Amino acid sequence: MNHQDIVAQLVEILTPLAEGRATAIDAGTELTGELALDSLKVMDLMLAVEDQFDISVPINALANVRTVGDLASTIGKTLGESA
Amino acid sequence: MKANPKLQAVRAVRQELAELGIDPFGVQIERIISPTEGLIDGRSTILAGTNNYLGLTFDPDCIAAARNALETAGTGTTGSRMANGSYAGHRELELEFARYFGKRDAIVFSTGYQANLGMISALAGPDDIVMIDADSHASIYDGCRLSGANTLRFRHNDPEDLAKRLRRLGSGAENALIVVEGVYSMLGDRAPLREFVDVKNRFGATLMLDEAHSLGVLGDRGRGLAEEAGVLDDVDYVVGTFSKSLGNTGGFCVSDSAEMDVLRYASRPYVFTASLPPATIAATRQALHTLADARHLRQRLRDNAEHLHAGLGALGFRLGAPPNAVVAVLLGDKLQALRFWDHLLKHGVYVNLMVPPATPNGESLLRCSISAAHTPEQIDAILAAFGSWTGAKE
Repeated sequence: MNHQDIVAQLVEILTPLAEGRATAIDAGTELTGELALDSLKVMDLMLAVEDQFDISVPINALANVRTVGDLASTIGKTLGESA
Repeated sequence: MKANPKLQAVRAVRQELAELGIDPFGVQIERIISPTEGLIDGRSTILAGTNNYLGLTFDPDCIAAARNALETAGTGTTGSRMANGSYAGHRELELEFARYFGKRDAIVFSTGYQANLGMISALAGPDDIVMIDADSHASIYDGCRLSGANTLRFRHNDPEDLAKRLRRLGSGAENALIVVEGVYSMLGDRAPLREFVDVKNRFGATLMLDEAHSLGVLGDRGRGLAEEAGVLDDVDYVVGTFSKSLGNTGGFCVSDSAEMDVLRYASRPYVFTASLPPATIAATRQALHTLADARHLRQRLRDNAEHLHAGLGALGFRLGAPPNAVVAVLLGDKLQALRFWDHLLKHGVYVNLMVPPATPNGESLLRCSISAAHTPEQIDAILAAFGSWTGAKE
């Protein structure tokens, strides 16, 4: 799965969580800034992401994740490691 | 000095509260009268948010033990347990905890927060995996952070979700440390502990259980949810606090592990903190002795919780969990909850206001914690204060 595919799947997961706060979600969209996801929503997002991609993403791996693209990279790296 | 940008979010919340003229996080009890009553804003107030489940803070035997220790051993130890801060009483309390739980050994920490911090960070390191319930207390999250371990969350009170996530780890699952709480402090809901034990055994993992809100409350001898569920032998580490049912300050961990004496020295929150004062140790030893046989207090606590729970239900409030020592009234809207909290205080009832992100599902809630020391009349007065609210109940 390439980076763009992961971003596309993330956009699908994020759209209901964003509650219309961003007109278009893409790789550059900030999770806590533009989408205004609080820490709890980010945690809920991660539970959904882990299930969607069937991977484990530790909380501590999210420290430098700011945008949808950052998250996609973290997922891609985890998928690569578990492949 | 310029304003610290890191404090901006907290400053904004403080400002919002100041504009409303309501400060639920700055309450001062001007005079404490009893385990269930204090003077707030010059008004006699029923305390229904103190976690003083058995009402032991004014127990005459505990006070006498503390007074005697204060006079014979001084005000403080002025040192770490690892240096000059281990008096005979500290170790005796540990052995008493171990005997009470039927476990091999115990470690006493200076707070309940530090017990979680100290145990998780001593048990797990950067290459390890800790699996925690999504609704875990901050001390569990902070313990994971201090450990540097890879921390994975599972859905709240969902053993099958835990199993699914352990399965993803493959052979790594048997080295995972699972952390759950007996009773969750926000809503008062209990963990499905037997099911969690089944999952833990199936994967060969290690289970740590925080009984902060269930010690003294659940189980025939008050040993918490693990005793009530009959799985005490299957829980590898039981952690708890002195600051609820035991009416004091401190924390502990009991375990059958042969490594407890090594663990304590690997635990930075244990090593780099002054130990508990002699009076605290003495009063806690007395309270622990009282706790084991306090079936009458547990019964009174249950009666009070059921009384309050039924009354609030009859008033049409949405409640967080079946009757328990924690009874949470769910209110979606934060501003509404804030005004309701203030209304209760002005009607002589103190409860805890809880707002996101500390609460699950983005709910705001008014959290009551019930004590065996509440009288039926006080429970009626709490209900009357809730009943006098004319605002929305959702």
